[in-house]
Amino acid sequence: MKPFSRLLVLAICLLASSGGWAQAIVFIDPGKSDEVYWATAANAMKAAADELGMRLEVRYAERDHLRAIQYARDIAALPAAKRPDFVILSNDNGTGPEMLRVLDSAGVKTFFAFSSLPPESRTEMGGPRQKFKGWLGSLEPHAEDAGYLTAKSIIEQGRKAGARRADGKLHMVAIAGDRATPSSVRRNAGMEHAVIEAGDVVLDQVVYAGWTRDKAAEQAEWLFARHPDARLVWAGNDLMALGAMQAWEKRGGVPGRDAWFSGVNTSREAMDSGRLAALAGGHFITGAWAMVMLYDYAHGRDFADEGLELDRPMFTLFDPARARTYMSRFGKKFDRIDFRRYSKVLNPRLKRYDFDFGQLLQ
Amino acid sequence: MTPAPLAQFRTLASSLVRRTLAVAILCALVAATIQAIVVVGDERAAFDRVLRNIADTHVPLLSVAVWDIEPEAIRRQLQRIAAEPEVAHVRLSERTGHVFEAGDARLRDAKDAKILQVPYPAGQPGTIGTLEVTANRDILFRHLAEKVLVVVLGYGLLSLVLCTLIAMVLRTELEMPLRHLARFTSELSPENLTRPLELSRPPRAWRDEIDLVAAGFRTLQDGIHTHVANLDGLVASRTAQLESALEEIRELTITDSLTGCFNRRHLDLKLAEEVLRGHRAGHPLCLFVCDLDHFKRINDTLGHLAGDEVLRGAAAVLRREVRERIDWVARFGGEEFVIVLPNTTLVDAMLIAERMRRAIEESVFEHGGRQIRVTASFGVAQCRVDDDGASLVARADAMLYRAKAAGRNRVVEAPAESFAA
Repeated sequence: MKPFSRLLVLAICLLASSGGWAQAIVFIDPGKSDEVYWATAANAMKAAADELGMRLEVRYAERDHLRAIQYARDIAALPAAKRPDFVILSNDNGTGPEMLRVLDSAGVKTFFAFSSLPPESRTEMGGPRQKFKGWLGSLEPHAEDAGYLTAKSIIEQGRKAGARRADGKLHMVAIAGDRATPSSVRRNAGMEHAVIEAGDVVLDQVVYAGWTRDKAAEQAEWLFARHPDARLVWAGNDLMALGAMQAWEKRGGVPGRDAWFSGVNTSREAMDSGRLAALAGGHFITGAWAMVMLYDYAHGRDFADEGLELDRPMFTLFDPARARTYMSRFGKKFDRIDFRRYSKVLNPRLKRYDFDFGQLLQ
Repeated sequence: MTPAPLAQFRTLASSLVRRTLAVAILCALVAATIQAIVVVGDERAAFDRVLRNIADTHVPLLSVAVWDIEPEAIRRQLQRIAAEPEVAHVRLSERTGHVFEAGDARLRDAKDAKILQVPYPAGQPGTIGTLEVTANRDILFRHLAEKVLVVVLGYGLLSLVLCTLIAMVLRTELEMPLRHLARFTSELSPENLTRPLELSRPPRAWRDEIDLVAAGFRTLQDGIHTHVANLDGLVASRTAQLESALEEIRELTITDSLTGCFNRRHLDLKLAEEVLRGHRAGHPLCLFVCDLDHFKRINDTLGHLAGDEVLRGAAAVLRREVRERIDWVARFGGEEFVIVLPNTTLVDAMLIAERMRRAIEESVFEHGGRQIRVTASFGVAQCRVDDDGASLVARADAMLYRAKAAGRNRVVEAPAESFAA
């Protein structure tokens, strides 16, 4: 980075903080603090906050949606001086509308990252800056991509390996996350899109394992018994894919040779195992990108010209080489990403945000 | 022959209570039996209803849960089924060999259990699993016990209340008045027959059987009382009759039947008393012996019946001439009479004797249409201190003899100086 621009940033930061404060942001993380994906997402956000000179506090709901709503209430109950400037939310398990209502009535500005409100809630909730003035906007990874990319990859591998059954078709079972989270629904839609597109694939059944490894393993065990022809196993995240592989190995199978598994996310175990036929990830970065957008917003560069609700491709399909690159660059920290490069305030020539994860691996 | 021993005493109330209890027990048995039949039927119907409910609600949900491979949901559904009181145990066998159970595994009865097929949710042919439901027999027995207990308790309470009521009512309305009546009766005797029967009962607007018994008893009492009173009157009248008869007899024993004067036996007794009384009181006592003159001639010429008529007439004249209740006349024998004049001096006696003599002389007696006249002679004596009845009569008789000797139809008195001595 050039010394000049650094000086410029410093000057702007000084200007912005002439009131004596940096932007304070709270992220209500729906996941568990020891859950790889959500911890990674939070770490990336922290790295972005550090680089952009913002204060970030992460509160983990530990996959308890009541707790997530309670956090929103706690923040709303704070005295005005102690309230954060922005609260980043994710509409997991349908908690979004209630958190939005609570925070907006307290005058706290909000931003949905990862998962925004689904279309069916819009008649009641409206869009950003309409009914709820403090709802600034949303950024979602294009979730269909994750489902589509991974499904397409295992279908191709299955074809190559000659996994067609007696009926001349490839048989697939899918272990999805849940039925409520929009990103889950969209990943499934992507997967189904790939199945239809392929034409020679039968989707025997879709089950929902609630993102957990154990339940996925149990369900896979049933699925293998119920659908003996199934050789392609699509999973909504990496943990569920690992659980399904475990069940397959228990039956004496070898993942990658006689059955092909796919997952989403970039946990170390998934990246390292090499048994997963396909893995899509990188969308954990959504939160960090949201930090960039809020930074620009706070410094007078509204993202409204690109749209209030951004749905950007962020997933990338990891092959073993990419996985290695990822692990070497981001295995521990995310401070090797220069988030400042993506800010419109800091880069006035930038006209459109580019949030593709793939570029980070170039 | 010995009297039969008295049977054991048992109050009416206890008899009635015993019978009421027996009927109540019988009713309770019948009701409990009916309840038991109803309960068994109800339980069968309830189990059938539960099975229908399971088939209608749980099986579709189970079908979806099994298809979606939601073990938790399957377990929840089974637990909900097992929570039905009519269900003891439920077991789901999934097609690929997974088995879920809920309820008490010990109560599982594979032979007697109902089997429900769980179809595929999307209407595919075949079944995704089978559901085996074992009925809970415990609940049948528990319901049976509850119902029977309620019946028994209900009847028990009812019987208790009824028996208490019966005992109370019988005690106040029947037992106490009857005992009172019994005590009253046992204490009743001829002396206190008229004692009124007072039952201590509160005043009331109606009469009952006890009042009828009491009224009847009073009527009986009055009747007996009247009867006893009549009996007294009868006894009194009979006694009076007896006494008058006795009096008559006594009169007869002391009276001469022809003349109505005292007879000779009574003369002896009574004269002795008079003499004693005269001596004790120091009163003068005079005595006449009177003899009808020539009476033998009347008997001989006119017959004895005429003689009797003259004797009766003469006696009547003599008794007419003496003081009533003081002086008295006795027939001494034949045509001879003795006249006793207590508390009479010789002078007065002489006057009385003279009046008697004249009265006889002037009297005319009739017999058979014939008029008969007669005279009498009198010997008069005054009682002396040394006299007894016999000596007094003997002296008067001696004076009579003198009067006869002096020509009859006259009065001769014994000298008075000897009395003064």
